[in-house]
Amino acid sequence: MTENVKENTPIIRVKELEKYFLAKRGYIHMSQYVKAVDGISLDVMEGETVGLVGESGCGKSTLGRTIMKIYEPTGGEIFYRGQNITKLSNKKMHNLRKSMQMIFQDPYASLNPRFTIGDIIEEPMVIHNMYTKAERKEKVYELLELVGLKPDHIRRYPHEFSGGQRQRVGIARTLALNPDFIVCDEPISALDVSIQAQIINLLEKIQDEQGISYLFIAHDLGMVKHISHKIGVMYLGHLVEFGDADEVYNHPLHPYTEALMSAAPIPDPKLARESKRIMLKGEIPSPLDMPTGCPFASRCPRCREECLAGPPIMVNVGDRKVACFDYL
Amino acid sequence: MLNKSEYFEPIDPDEKNDEFIAIESKSFFKDVCERFVKNKRAMIALVIFLIIALMAIFGPMISPYSYDGMDTAIMNQRPSAAHWFGTDRFGRDLFTRVLYGARISLMVGIVTAAINTIIGVIYGGIAGYVGGRVDMWMMRLTDILYSIPELLYIILIMLIFGSNVRSIIIGVCVAGWISMARMVRSQIITLKEQEFALAAFVLGANSRRILFKHLIVNSLGTIIVTVTLMIPQAIFMEAFLSFVGVGISAPMASLGTLAQDARTYLEIFPYQMLFPVAAICVTIFSLNFIGEGLNSALNPKGKR
Repeated sequence: MTENVKENTPIIRVKELEKYFLAKRGYIHMSQYVKAVDGISLDVMEGETVGLVGESGCGKSTLGRTIMKIYEPTGGEIFYRGQNITKLSNKKMHNLRKSMQMIFQDPYASLNPRFTIGDIIEEPMVIHNMYTKAERKEKVYELLELVGLKPDHIRRYPHEFSGGQRQRVGIARTLALNPDFIVCDEPISALDVSIQAQIINLLEKIQDEQGISYLFIAHDLGMVKHISHKIGVMYLGHLVEFGDADEVYNHPLHPYTEALMSAAPIPDPKLARESKRIMLKGEIPSPLDMPTGCPFASRCPRCREECLAGPPIMVNVGDRKVACFDYL
Repeated sequence: MLNKSEYFEPIDPDEKNDEFIAIESKSFFKDVCERFVKNKRAMIALVIFLIIALMAIFGPMISPYSYDGMDTAIMNQRPSAAHWFGTDRFGRDLFTRVLYGARISLMVGIVTAAINTIIGVIYGGIAGYVGGRVDMWMMRLTDILYSIPELLYIILIMLIFGSNVRSIIIGVCVAGWISMARMVRSQIITLKEQEFALAAFVLGANSRRILFKHLIVNSLGTIIVTVTLMIPQAIFMEAFLSFVGVGISAPMASLGTLAQDARTYLEIFPYQMLFPVAAICVTIFSLNFIGEGLNSALNPKGKR
């Protein structure tokens, strides 16, 4: 799994990234914001897959989209191979788009229904003025083959395909630009299980062949553990734990990670019966009115007095990072 | 043990592909055409409309009478073999005049619909796509335009440019594009949050490409329906203006002016009113049915 991870500058470095959405403009009172991403730092190394897990609404997708500059970051910095891209305009981002790409969640919504498959895969090359017309056509056939579609699919329309096939088209479109970093925004959650495995295998094959780095967003824990070299766990806009995939999965440090991992289904019924599921009690705080202390305090079984006073900082525990007062 | 081969035999490789079921690859508009053709009412309306349009275009050329040739010897004749719709009080052939009037009415309808569509789609597209403050100001501007009674500025424009086809077209267009702009804007606002628009953005497409190639193309269906409903509106407006006397002036004739001319002798010569009004009705009806047919062909999930 870790064959082609090279140790040098990260391909993507996110530093204290913040993305707030305005919820209610205040004139007399303070404006209210939803802090979808609140001070997240993480690195993605070359050829590496970083999995990002967390419950719905914790800001995983927002983080991915902010890195892709679909959303303007509220604060913090994003670096691509050491180049600060936080403040780059769309025009200046244009060339970088070839290197940074994204695979979307819903294969039914991410393809323009009025374009043929050929048009869809060719479009990125047209936008970036790559190759001549004939070469582009050639490249489209190559890409179709790479993702396991047939050449005669080129003239068909998205509605004629199944979810899995559409996601392959989405992947082919992304690969047309030869990116070296791809944000996979829950690329498999809209597919059924047998197809999920095919898409994951395809993504892994492409990574082996081309050394692409992934930021893999998902909520299927088993799948994330399988594909990722490292896992980041998010809770309400914060990164609570980050480290080696197997380590995080098997020996979670943060109480939230622990609860999350105990909820992952175990295929062996004997082991499943023995394992204890941690049930979380308490309410998720409103994203509009976040507590001053640890964001997880209201549901944490290990909550203490100091947890309510101020937010915990990320600390290194071995080669892992945890944001919990237990490890300070 | 049962021997498997007794019950199963390997499938013939030629037969393997027989099971392959796939619908024929169809482009969106081909699909729409097929659904439209199946709609009887819309097809009848289309045929009627085409007949009217062809007659309006070529009729006046073929007709032995000219639209403004007066002949006092044949004043106010009833419909006959020589004059199918009869003649008016100046002895002009009413059939030729109705055809000629239909030509002007259709021209007004189509030209205004075209102008309104171009302005409305671009304006609404930009407002919806850019959003925020720009959208707010652009839409307030349309609200202001919309709040001024149409007749007011149509009459003002008539005063400046004279009573002719051009002033009617300008007058109807001043506020006519607003409904199109509002419609396109609302479509664009919902479409731009769709993942395919985000995907185009991430691929590096510029705003113009995203707006025209991705968003407007996907709202074409609603645009087409609105256009087909815009034409009869413009025809109606023109007929109304001509009828109240601020439209096209003599000797030119639109269907509205013909009805206006017939008003004075309505009790004596009702047929002079009947034919132009019937022409207006049939044209507007057929266009409305075409629009409705297109609507159900473009949005097949909608109620029938």
